[in-house]
Amino acid sequence: MERKIPLPMLILAILGFCYLLFPILVVVLAGLTTGEFLTFPPKGLSLRWVISFLNSEKYLSAFFFSFKLALMTMIVSTILGTAAALFIARSRFVGRTALRAFFLSPVVLPGVVVGFALYAFFITSGLGISRTIWGLWIGHILYSTPYVIGTVGASLATFDVSLEEAARSLGASPMRAFRKITFPNIAQGIQAGSIFAFIVSFGQFEVSLFLSAPNSEPLPIAMYNSLRYKFEPDAAAAGIFAITLVIASVLLTNRLVNIRRLLERQDG
Amino acid sequence: MVYVEFSTISKHFGTSVAVADLDLQIEQGEFFSLLGPSGCGKSTTLRMLAGFVKPTTGQIRVNGRNVTALPPEARDIGIVFQNYAIFPHMTVFDNIAFGLVERKLPRVEIKQKVDSALAEVGMTGFEDRYERELSGGQKQRVALARVLVIEPEILLLDEPLSALDKKMREEMKYWIKNIQKSVGITTIYVTHDQSEALTMSDRIAVMDQGRVLQIGTPVEIYEQPASRFIAEFIGESNLLDGTALDVHGAVCSIDIDGTTVTGRLTQNNAAIKGQAVTLLVRPEMIRLHSLDASEKPKLNGTVREIIYQGSVVRYRIQIGHQHVMVEVANRPDLARLDLDDDVEVYWNADSGVAMP
Ligand SMILES: Nc1ncnc2c1ncn2[C@@H]1O[C@H](COP(=O)(O)OP(=O)(O)OP(=O)(O)O)[C@@H](O)[C@H]1O
Ligand SMILES: [Mg+2]
Repeated sequence: MERKIPLPMLILAILGFCYLLFPILVVVLAGLTTGEFLTFPPKGLSLRWVISFLNSEKYLSAFFFSFKLALMTMIVSTILGTAAALFIARSRFVGRTALRAFFLSPVVLPGVVVGFALYAFFITSGLGISRTIWGLWIGHILYSTPYVIGTVGASLATFDVSLEEAARSLGASPMRAFRKITFPNIAQGIQAGSIFAFIVSFGQFEVSLFLSAPNSEPLPIAMYNSLRYKFEPDAAAAGIFAITLVIASVLLTNRLVNIRRLLERQDG
Repeated sequence: MVYVEFSTISKHFGTSVAVADLDLQIEQGEFFSLLGPSGCGKSTTLRMLAGFVKPTTGQIRVNGRNVTALPPEARDIGIVFQNYAIFPHMTVFDNIAFGLVERKLPRVEIKQKVDSALAEVGMTGFEDRYERELSGGQKQRVALARVLVIEPEILLLDEPLSALDKKMREEMKYWIKNIQKSVGITTIYVTHDQSEALTMSDRIAVMDQGRVLQIGTPVEIYEQPASRFIAEFIGESNLLDGTALDVHGAVCSIDIDGTTVTGRLTQNNAAIKGQAVTLLVRPEMIRLHSLDASEKPKLNGTVREIIYQGSVVRYRIQIGHQHVMVEVANRPDLARLDLDDDVEVYWNADSGVAMP
């Protein structure tokens, strides 16, 4: 080891790491209990509740609904967020910082406020989308897009505009200069933003609470609704699957990014 | 033949004026420099020609064609940026091929052209490298090859040497000039470094605060600066205060502390008579050793400081209440002076430039 981390820092880092991992550990172990109720530490270990989750119509459909919702949200948020980040980064007008703050505001507003505001709007505007999957989708997009704006904005901040100008004066149209030069150089930021959007949507609770339709509940709402009446460990088992999905999506995208890099290095 | 023409070009950013009423005419094949201090509008001028910045007023013509409203990709102008702007996700080969691919040339021809461009800039064998695997000088060569390979009408260079170390800068200065000469391409070079501009240019435009102050050959700019600002910006200057006594055409006699000297007027300006003037004399134009006892003008001074620099020795000489720097070649036939020596100071009548 070349770089030595000072001991107090190392201890702090380990403590912080444990603090972050502990809730995940609790969920995983609680989901693997043999007992009848959600407890920690668990009473013995078994796959009883995992199997119960896999057989539960309610949880499985909620899980796949959340997955589809997160995927659709991710797609729209990525497109909207990238466009917004480009606009903020490239336009030069006085209200630029204000616009940026406005775009990012859903992150700083409490989710309850965003959810309630949208609910009130859908109800009173008579659009007919309150408590439908469309209204829910719109709410999730609104809530996830700022994360894309944030990550794409960060990669645009380090992107040197003269690269695009060089491409233009070498004969590329604005569209081609974006596709061949700008896009590949901010692709990492877009990718990171889309993972964020996916994860944020998948775990979203407050907005969903106001907007989800009774017959199609996302996973967090389904878990909450069932835990309100009985404290059964299959909610924790559902949590295990949610954690696995998030970890898998992060690993997968990391993998994709590296593969893309490898491919680029080989052709040409 | 005028190849590039700026007519009353100006550029405003909000309320600030980056370029004001610029008129420039650049000849075909010329190496033309825009020289001036930071923020004087050099890059803005270059970027208007490249098409990245729209002028607020005026017109730009290239080869008789009005290009003012054309987007960059329709202009056929190559630009090398200060930071080279090598595409980081592409190899050297793909960087240089970029413009050719955009022009939809056949693969075989692209390969052939890229190869010869690489050879021209001495980078054969670097095809598969990425930007991060290149030194500053190598990036510069790639950036130039990428531009030259598309055979543009005009080459623009925005402070291309400022990111290099001093030794590399000296080397690339001659290298760029040689390539420019052999290709014969009309070139506009932006710099704030007067020695670069003097060494490389056919003509120089000196700019300050968005305006062109003087256009001329390096010799004209250095030896007949139009103003005190230019004299001080380019090279080292001694500026002596005096009073204009008499004007004969372009020659002016000046009283400096009771001694009469002569200077050339940059503009024929008879009205200057009787007014305060500044006389510019370059340090290397002043002699402390007379060739001829009757030589004039002759001022009396005292050595106040000696700076030994190897090939030259510099003396600070006090004349009355003013000081001049004098640069003397370090030669055995020129006696070395000591501190507080009294000396006589001479220069050729032609070497002094009188300015209002
Ligand atoms: N996009 C812009 N928005 C607002 N002001 C600008 C912009 N670009 C340039 N300016 C201003 O215009 C003036 C001229 O800038 P320019 O970049 O042309 O100077 P320069 O001579 O190239 O200086 P340097 O040697 O530092 O590169 C400066 O005062 C600068 O602040
Ligand atoms: Mg500049």
